[in-house]
Amino acid sequence: MFKNEEMEINLGPQHPSTHGVLRVKLRLDGETITHCRPMIGYLHRGVEKICENQTFFQGQVWTDRMDYCSAVANNLGWAEANEKLFGITVPRRAQYIRTMLNEFNRLASHLIWLATHALDIGAMTVFLYAFREREDILDMNEAFCGSRLTTTAFRIGGLREDLPPGFEKLVTKFLAKFPSCLEEYENLLSENRIWKKRTVGVAKLSAEDAIALGVTGPVLRAAGVPYDIRKAFPYAAYAEMDFEVPTKTEADTYARYLVRMEEMRQSARIIQQCMDGMPEGPVMAKLPKILRAEVNEVYHATEAPKGEIGYYLVGEKGSGNPYRFHVRAPGFINLQALPKMAEGGLIADIVAAIGTLDIVLGEIDR
Amino acid sequence: MSDETLPQPQEPPAAPAGPYVYDYAASPQRQIVLPKTVPLPSLITFLAEQKAAAEADEAKWLKQLADFEVAKAKAEAEGKDAPKPPVRAVPRKDDNDLKTPWPQEAKDADLLHLQDCLGGKVEEIFEQAGELTCQVSKESILEALLLCRQDAELNYEMLADQTATHYPAATGFAFSVVYHLTSISRRKRLRLRILVPEGFVPESACAVYPSANWMEREIYDMLGIRFANHPDMTRILCPEDWEGHPLRKDYPTVGLGQRDISFREDRGGRLELIAMQKAGQLGINLKQPKAE
Repeated sequence: MFKNEEMEINLGPQHPSTHGVLRVKLRLDGETITHCRPMIGYLHRGVEKICENQTFFQGQVWTDRMDYCSAVANNLGWAEANEKLFGITVPRRAQYIRTMLNEFNRLASHLIWLATHALDIGAMTVFLYAFREREDILDMNEAFCGSRLTTTAFRIGGLREDLPPGFEKLVTKFLAKFPSCLEEYENLLSENRIWKKRTVGVAKLSAEDAIALGVTGPVLRAAGVPYDIRKAFPYAAYAEMDFEVPTKTEADTYARYLVRMEEMRQSARIIQQCMDGMPEGPVMAKLPKILRAEVNEVYHATEAPKGEIGYYLVGEKGSGNPYRFHVRAPGFINLQALPKMAEGGLIADIVAAIGTLDIVLGEIDR
Repeated sequence: MSDETLPQPQEPPAAPAGPYVYDYAASPQRQIVLPKTVPLPSLITFLAEQKAAAEADEAKWLKQLADFEVAKAKAEAEGKDAPKPPVRAVPRKDDNDLKTPWPQEAKDADLLHLQDCLGGKVEEIFEQAGELTCQVSKESILEALLLCRQDAELNYEMLADQTATHYPAATGFAFSVVYHLTSISRRKRLRLRILVPEGFVPESACAVYPSANWMEREIYDMLGIRFANHPDMTRILCPEDWEGHPLRKDYPTVGLGQRDISFREDRGGRLELIAMQKAGQLGINLKQPKAE
């Protein structure tokens, strides 16, 4: 009656919990996953090839469309990599505005993670609350650069425009209410019995495995490694900011939830410091109209909400296009750890494992 | 305007016979401009170029001086006013905030330590834009990675990124493969680089850094470099039956198949011909009935 053989099933590519078109091939022994193989590439658009055939300036719109939940963070990494390639010093005011917008973007990205992760696991309410606050951040994006999601926020050498008048009011209003909103989410989840049953001890990834697999971001910090590029290799104005890097040692889904919640508090702190210490001055460096590179290669990594986003650029002498444009997408590397996290667990928990990695397939497939 | 200057109507090119299969290698749309230079950052090349440029500048100046002497002697002999002495040209200084980071001699302790340990296997070390680069011979990459991972003084725990670049204009090699290592405990970054000719199979980094698994699959998929002793050397982003490797410089940017001919470029009515032919094969009459 009962056959003692393994079953193979497909999760995705069109599964609502896979946040894009991710296909995971699973082999099951009863309800336990014995083998897991993520298959990607369904959203491959050839961003690297396209950017190699466009000028240095034109690449930015493609970085928006890689990880569309954290476009500003992608823009920041791209802009700083180009500035490193050409040796441009960005004015201090522009650095502060960039830092502030980047932290707002971290909040937006973490909020969308919280919303969808909770929704995947079965908590519908948080989704609606988190999207309410995310809306305010998108409004601020719109006030700053005219678009909400694909921001194209920065330019090589600084910013196109200064902050719009009245922007400070929006920020102050947001910061005044945000801590209470965070408490609201935590009241819904932190001590929720069902939430804890679905997350505590689920999808563990030890620090050794995480480092060996190249995993960065909150997933690594929840395993007890205090590696945050904002602290380790400070960029933009992060060297002047006072903030903490939250870590946990449990290395499970619940620890990652706690780390991300604490990160949101720290982001709000950084935004407050940016507003208080905002220097005056220009927001754009003096640049020629066309940038022509010299023979040079740079790898510049920044801390995106999902982990380390790195841009590798090679310049060709006298050329206005990058000779090589490569993106080290955090989701791409982090997804490698999925088999390690899911194998040996229950099939119902793979949804939690995918959610806790916080992947966006747009940047994985590029 | 006479009729001769007007462009003569040209015969449309003949549509391919039979079922329409696009010959992508012979495509007129396949406009690939292969790069002529080899933009491989290197201190040795940079110094050689600087020296050559300085010598050329000096030779030009000496020639200017000699020309002036000749002109002066000629003017004196003819009893005319002496010509103006030449002024040496000063390089133009642009008024902007660009400060190009040139390659510099390696002073960092990590690079010097690597050179001490690996000896002749290190081909070049230099610093540029605050980044450390160490180029090792292509056969000894695994040894260099092991050293970086296990040496107590280096202790690079994480392979953050691995990628490759295609250099079709280079002689002696076709690709550079770069490894970006991060030391979390020491807060340092290092770039290892190897130069690989076409068809060479470098050793996989998976044994030392398991994170290389997908990155090497991506390099194989995008550039066609295979890695030896890799646990799963398959394509990752493109489908399994994809032809070619997209990030090579000789890969076209126009699409394969029918997207190659855009309607904007279709001056010769080629698309219409093809549509007619296809319709004819299917037994559909697309031709408009002629007006009586």
